[in-house]
Amino acid sequence: MKVGLFIPCYINQLYPQVGKATLELLEKLKVEVVYPSGQTCCGQPMANSGFENESEGACINFVNNFKDFDYIVTPSGSCAYHVKKHYNIIQQTDDVIKVRKNVYELCDFILNVLKIKNLGASFPYKVGVHKSCHGLRGLRLGSSSELVIEPYSYIEELLKEVEGIELMPLDRSDECCGFGGTFAVTEDVVSAKMGKDKIQDHLRNGVEVITATDVSCLMHLEGLITRNKQPLQVRHIAEILNSTI
Amino acid sequence: MDSRDTILKKLKANKPEFIALPKINPAVFDENIDKVKEFIRKTEVAGGKVFEVTDNKEVLSKTQEAFPETKVNFSNLDDSGFFNTIDSESFKNPHELNDLDVLVLESTLGVAENGAVWLTDNDIPVRVIPFITKHLVLVLPKENIVPYMHQAYSAINPMDLDYGIFISGPSKTADIEQSLVIGAQGAMSLTVFLK
Amino acid sequence: MSHSKLAGIFNKDEKKVDWHDKALWFVRHKRDLSVHQVKGWEELRNLGHGIKAHTLSHLDVYLEQFEANALKNGVQVHWAANGDEHNQIVHSILKADNAKKVVKSKSMLTEECHLNPFLEANDIEVIDTDLGERIVQLAKEKPSHIVLPAIHKNKLEVDELFQEHLGTEPCDGDPQYLTGEARKHLREKFIHADAAITGVNFAIAENGGFVVCTNEGNADMGAHLAPIHIACMGVEKIIPKQEHLGVFLRLLARSATGQPITTYSSHFRKPGKGVKMHIVIVDNGRSKQLSRPDFRASLHCIRCGACMNTCPIYRRSGGHSYDATIPGPIGSILSPGKDLTKYSTLPFASTLCGSCSDVCPVKIDIHTQLYKWRQIIGKETPQPFIKKKSMAAMGKIFSKPSLYGKVGAVARWALRTLPKSLINAWPNIWGKTRDLPVGPKKSFDQWYKERENNKKTDQK
Ligand code: SF4
Repeated sequence: MKVGLFIPCYINQLYPQVGKATLELLEKLKVEVVYPSGQTCCGQPMANSGFENESEGACINFVNNFKDFDYIVTPSGSCAYHVKKHYNIIQQTDDVIKVRKNVYELCDFILNVLKIKNLGASFPYKVGVHKSCHGLRGLRLGSSSELVIEPYSYIEELLKEVEGIELMPLDRSDECCGFGGTFAVTEDVVSAKMGKDKIQDHLRNGVEVITATDVSCLMHLEGLITRNKQPLQVRHIAEILNSTI
Repeated sequence: MDSRDTILKKLKANKPEFIALPKINPAVFDENIDKVKEFIRKTEVAGGKVFEVTDNKEVLSKTQEAFPETKVNFSNLDDSGFFNTIDSESFKNPHELNDLDVLVLESTLGVAENGAVWLTDNDIPVRVIPFITKHLVLVLPKENIVPYMHQAYSAINPMDLDYGIFISGPSKTADIEQSLVIGAQGAMSLTVFLK
Repeated sequence: MSHSKLAGIFNKDEKKVDWHDKALWFVRHKRDLSVHQVKGWEELRNLGHGIKAHTLSHLDVYLEQFEANALKNGVQVHWAANGDEHNQIVHSILKADNAKKVVKSKSMLTEECHLNPFLEANDIEVIDTDLGERIVQLAKEKPSHIVLPAIHKNKLEVDELFQEHLGTEPCDGDPQYLTGEARKHLREKFIHADAAITGVNFAIAENGGFVVCTNEGNADMGAHLAPIHIACMGVEKIIPKQEHLGVFLRLLARSATGQPITTYSSHFRKPGKGVKMHIVIVDNGRSKQLSRPDFRASLHCIRCGACMNTCPIYRRSGGHSYDATIPGPIGSILSPGKDLTKYSTLPFASTLCGSCSDVCPVKIDIHTQLYKWRQIIGKETPQPFIKKKSMAAMGKIFSKPSLYGKVGAVARWALRTLPKSLINAWPNIWGKTRDLPVGPKKSFDQWYKERENNKKTDQK
């Protein structure tokens, strides 16, 4: 099995530790991982802003980088979702179809392709799970609270196996944090208010560390936490699953 | 071309290709509920009261007990002469029914899943009366309670209906700061007698 | 004004935002409790979606069938291509019988057509009889929510309004007292009304009847007491058969407020004694929306308001920030179809979290439609020069790996090296409320390359 690692642009530039954790984790699980050097961005920032057409170059570059892998794994539900859902704007060649089908968010890949639950991690903290929306309602990494179906959550299934961890339930289990890409800037007031409320929910419920499948949500929350000097930390889920403290 | 034809023409031109009509299979929703129990529960949640009685006589005596001081009462049940303070003459000018205190009507259909009771023109002397009355009392035979709305509509002939209404609980509103207040524009209380 | 500007104004009073958010979240919570009790809820949603999709694909036929049956029932049927024509028709019906006093129950369609000001300009008194709508009407405002029209007002404001207009005593906003006073006030209006206007929740093709749902009983009070009943409906309100009500009435109230059914579900078919009944069928842009494959499912909407209650943006920006008859997620996919430029910021008033689509009882893919409107707005409306340029630049950078590496390095350096005050003071909206991450020394790229090189050296 040959796996191509996709590290989203903002992780690459601003949160490289998340990329490292992802790579180390996959290697620990004996996966043959390659990080293609020509990768940039999945194209989502332009597309979500209403400029899908400007993102075509990025889409094509993505496919070219990843077409030869059995799976493409990324520590971002949002990017995986974008490739799956919105790569219909470029010509649907065999390569494009294959890439769209085989792109996986990290937890999804570990649980449902590798079929491993216990990763031997330990993380002795009270953790609140932020269910990033694109992973939750786009990739269906868990059951959203609106639907009347058997509840499940891939993220929590993996986290429950982590030694020492205590998962803290929230008042609103899957409300959006307010990042939303350019929304964070064009609707900055509401975006910040959403983030603030989300953080309060975690604080109220005794959370020490917020985790998520998407760094973008965490960057937004961390920005607010740092500014307001609140007693909370953020960690991408790969960092927790790769942790042995 | 008048608007009717223009609109219809546009809709015809703009509609998508034909999509088949899905079939409703009520069995999918069936949970084998205890119909009477569920009906009582749902009516109470909707703010209504439910009593079980043996016959219409008991309905009227219980109603009198519950509303001892009322001046204007009307019941549509047989042998209600002693109870009624007005007669069908009063219905000629419904605007004057504004002081009606208690109204008793008989229904032939109730729905367990939501406590709704069905009334049609056949059950109501004039249409406004179940709304304009202060207190509404409905009588419903237990065996006429169906589990879900699907069964309710199977029991109603669409071609044989002039006016019909499902009523579940008393009139209510939460339009002021989301606080529930019973008694908005319609009846201020609802009592259902199951017999 | 853009949505974000209006949202900013709403957010000046954070306590009010918190109240608004919690009140609506509570309604969403009640919806959850209620729908989780329904076996087969998701199947019910599928049916709701399927019946609506079918109906739209056969809409002209069903409307003609409905009209023929309504006529047989003794109801007059009128057709209006747009809001103006709708208002003219209603006015001419009223004028023919010299009706001067009208009571109206909730109808978003008449809001959309701006019926009230039109009738008032023609010397006709229109009283909104839904309590929430009456409150908003007295305040000379517009509904901020389609099910809870006065959700933006607190009880003290209502208290004051009622003192001024209904002569009530000061009561510290006691809802019980205020509702009781409104009841008295509206009773008077019902009894003296010359005509009643209602909306239509569902119109049934097979028998020409229609259903109106209320909790207060105001639609029936009006329609049964007044000698004229005018029911106004958009073309999309039609359903094929009465049995389909079994699906929609099960979905509607549970999604709206968590009630298993509204207090009153009135089935009008033939006029009552001495009542003239009219139905006005309105297009006003709906046939246009039907022509757009990506957006036609927006016509499935049964106006339950659940997408508003669940929307984290709506809850924190208030209904008026959408500046449209229908606010919230559904409004944001309907409004651009009417005026793309005026409503161009609405599809961006969303994080595309998708909660609206999952909550919607008729499974409208609301967030996907928001995304699609964005693409159309990006192409067809004038965009700020900077946004256009930066999107094009980003597009270029991301399609060329070599360029991308260089730009990233500069950005990281800036974040790491420049003082915080400078970074956050850039024309940088992010920094108003949030810190930026500390730029790491190395990108993942660089770290990975170094690691690979080290591996090679090790092997040597
Ligand atoms: S779009 Fe769906 S959720 Fe929103 S009001 Fe319409 S039916 Fe309800």
